[in-house]
Amino acid sequence: MAKSNDARAHDDHRPDVRKYMLVFGALLVLTCVTVVISKFHLPRPQAITLGLLVAVVKAGLVAAVFMHLWGEQKLVHKVLYVVAFFAAILILPLLDLRMVVSRITERMPVADQHPDEGAAPEAKPEAAPAPAPASAPAPKPAKKRAKSAPKNG
Amino acid sequence: MSHDSHGHGGHHELSFARKYVFSVDHKVIGLQYMITSMIFLLFGFGLMLLMRWQLAFPGQAIPFIGRLFPADLAPNGVMSGEFYNTLGAMHGTIMVFLGVVPLAVGAYGNYIMPLQIGAPDMAFPRLNMMSYWVFLPGGLLMLGSFLMPGGAAQSGWTSYPPLSIINPGQTVWILAMVLLITSSLLGAINFIVTTINLRAPGMTLDRLPVFCWAQFVTAILLLLAFPPLEAAAILQLMDRVAHTSFYMPKDLIILGTHYAGSGGGQPLLWQHLFWFLAHPEVYVLVLPPMGIVSEIIANNTRKPLHGYKTMVVSMLFLGVMSFLVWAHHMFLSGMSPALGNFFLVTTMIISVPSVAILTCLIFSLKGASIRYNVPMLFALAFLPLFGIGGLTGLPLGLTVTDIYLHDTYYVIGHFHFVVVTGSIIALLGGTYYWFPKWFGRRMNDKLGLIHFWGSVICMCGIFLPMFPMGLAGASRRLYDPTAQMHNMGVQGLNVVSTYFAYGLALFQLPYIWNFFHSMFRGEKSVENPWQATTLEWACPSPPPHGNFEKTPRVYRGPYEYSVPGRKTDYWPQSDPA
Amino acid sequence: MTTITMDNADTHSGITNAKLGVWLFLASEVMLFATLFTTYIVLRMGATSWPWGWDALNVPLATLNTAILISSSVTIVMAYAKAYDKNVGGFRFWMLMTLLLSFGFLVVKAFEYGHEFALGIGPSTSVFYAVYFTMTGLHGIHIIGGIIVNSALLYMSYCQEDWEHPLFLGRVEGAGLYWHFVDIVWIFLFPALYLL
Repeated sequence: MAKSNDARAHDDHRPDVRKYMLVFGALLVLTCVTVVISKFHLPRPQAITLGLLVAVVKAGLVAAVFMHLWGEQKLVHKVLYVVAFFAAILILPLLDLRMVVSRITERMPVADQHPDEGAAPEAKPEAAPAPAPASAPAPKPAKKRAKSAPKNG
Repeated sequence: MSHDSHGHGGHHELSFARKYVFSVDHKVIGLQYMITSMIFLLFGFGLMLLMRWQLAFPGQAIPFIGRLFPADLAPNGVMSGEFYNTLGAMHGTIMVFLGVVPLAVGAYGNYIMPLQIGAPDMAFPRLNMMSYWVFLPGGLLMLGSFLMPGGAAQSGWTSYPPLSIINPGQTVWILAMVLLITSSLLGAINFIVTTINLRAPGMTLDRLPVFCWAQFVTAILLLLAFPPLEAAAILQLMDRVAHTSFYMPKDLIILGTHYAGSGGGQPLLWQHLFWFLAHPEVYVLVLPPMGIVSEIIANNTRKPLHGYKTMVVSMLFLGVMSFLVWAHHMFLSGMSPALGNFFLVTTMIISVPSVAILTCLIFSLKGASIRYNVPMLFALAFLPLFGIGGLTGLPLGLTVTDIYLHDTYYVIGHFHFVVVTGSIIALLGGTYYWFPKWFGRRMNDKLGLIHFWGSVICMCGIFLPMFPMGLAGASRRLYDPTAQMHNMGVQGLNVVSTYFAYGLALFQLPYIWNFFHSMFRGEKSVENPWQATTLEWACPSPPPHGNFEKTPRVYRGPYEYSVPGRKTDYWPQSDPA
Repeated sequence: MTTITMDNADTHSGITNAKLGVWLFLASEVMLFATLFTTYIVLRMGATSWPWGWDALNVPLATLNTAILISSSVTIVMAYAKAYDKNVGGFRFWMLMTLLLSFGFLVVKAFEYGHEFALGIGPSTSVFYAVYFTMTGLHGIHIIGGIIVNSALLYMSYCQEDWEHPLFLGRVEGAGLYWHFVDIVWIFLFPALYLL
């Protein structure tokens, strides 16, 4: 029996305008939140973590509700898991996690502070030309962002 | 049921242009890809013949055609270093992106895969047509770069910055690559959706021919691995045209002057992004040919393939692993040794599924009733020769030995064995096998034998000497091998390779003649000349628009040969009995 | 001669060809933008200094643009809702709104770029601006692509045959998926470039 292409056949994609409006409201609120937070001159690691968190929530809402991922067929979810896996493979080695982890465990004050505050940033020792692209260790949240980078919530 | 509007069943006759030029029929598109990519292959082959002259007889004027080249390329007919570099970069680019992949995927995949799954066409016929018509301009642009001021790209097919940012020819290379990548992406989407959605009733995944599995995995590789290269290429384009510094480090001094950019970029970033594609790309080069060999071997051993499940799982695993090994091309780049260790381990792991596939194919021969026809000869030759290619990869995948062998002729020998005596041998064999399907006629067997033996012997003659050369330390990408003292002992091998290369060129002539002559004058073929079981043989040869008169129904696996108790030694998949 | 319709029967997966195709396309786009974001992270981590978004760029304008783009995501999903109910007038209205908002986004972007160019700032000024112009530029090209697709759908809604085609709703949904993806990219791009 041929499955009908007509979307009316699957009621799980019946549009729910109320839901759309709720999400719209949430997205606008979250946008304001993220802009306001960034004004607070938080230290970079925290700023990045919070910013990333808000972005992930917003993206998740768009993906789940507007893109109908919530209640979508399993195959589409599988496609996204595969993509998330390969995107992680692309990102993680490039960030050279060892550097990131060692950076978390040692305290290196320079890049953590907002340029407006604290002492004038000391010139970081120029990264040796040879090693991996991630020659200068990153603040912790960069790793988190990297892991959650896949766009579809 | 609504019809997709591409006029079939004689409802209205299409114009010549709609039928043969801008066709949406996967078979026509497949043949378009085939002819186009074979012409590009021939062109890339020609570039290599020029290089081989220079390598065997450095500093000597190219015979006959030497004086035809402009003076800046070959003064007095003697090849300049820049021209050699151009030939090298373009040979690699053309063979990989304009030759083998369009042939293996665009031609074979397009034509055969929908037939093997029992579909009337691809899922998106118009997208399929677009894929070809984006590929062709991309290919022509790539070739056209030879005629542009500054000449064609000369920074290796790998286009490493900073050299590729300052060298001529690279901008057009990037633009052509963008077109080619787009074409591949559109095609990949088509292949994946077709394989998932358009299989005939009864064609469950465990009844899918190995060729279709190979094309499916290949499509996934293309879909996910090409975009990073596209992004990286855009960044390189920005560096060249907008003078950004994505790849240009600070305080770069070129020929005594400071490079006038903002600096802050990282050359190694390009290497990572390039190889992120380029490694899965080599599996794209090899998987469809493995699929072809599987089909030919199953058919000509008259028994089911050994280890169908193992082969399928291996191909899937190979696909996944291919994304995890890329930096074994970068062991000597200066990246962190820990990263190197990671990639060493994954590279060792990836050899397992390759060996598994090859082993299954070899075991398929055991107890078989082998028919030594021309396609089978090619398929049989694939096995040991691809094996040599694979085995010679092991010292390259081990960091310690790679330190010595990297950028030597050993590498060139290795990858040419896998691609030439591997992929291309399989693709050529596939021509003989599926020719009756495409044209309803058979290719001439005598010419086929000449082509086969000549090609295999010459290919080995070209590439086997490269292993001792590499072990002696001969550098690759060097236009004058005699510039290195330690090469003098092995320079004779360069001459050997060159003679075999010219021999290889000669032995393609019977093939080219055979191909075109048989198209029109070949012995007419029956519908299923090889008594094969797979679905592409359960329709007329060549198939009409829409392929199957009635949607086939599949009752069994793809390789039901020599089933006990049956009269014939083959049981087609769609036979109801 | 009977033929299986391409987008219809015997879909083994239960997902139409078009929808599966769009999701696969988006998968490739995820890889594309993941590469660009990775490049951004790598170059920023290796930099000795990196300007704060508020200092280097026009955050208020970009915030406005974020609101505009989010709104356009809502309008396009409303267009889908109207198409689902076969309400052609409603569909045309909401799709038009989407297009207007999309143009609005580009206009604001043009202001931003114009202001930066007037100050002599361009992609070659620094790695920060190289990343900024390249990523927002590529995003902008994707917006233009979406405008073309959405305009085509709006145009098609005026042709009886196209509007009533059983595949039309699927096309609207596919266009919507693409548009939401472009919105999601901006959701990450905005804080990454402007706020941090």
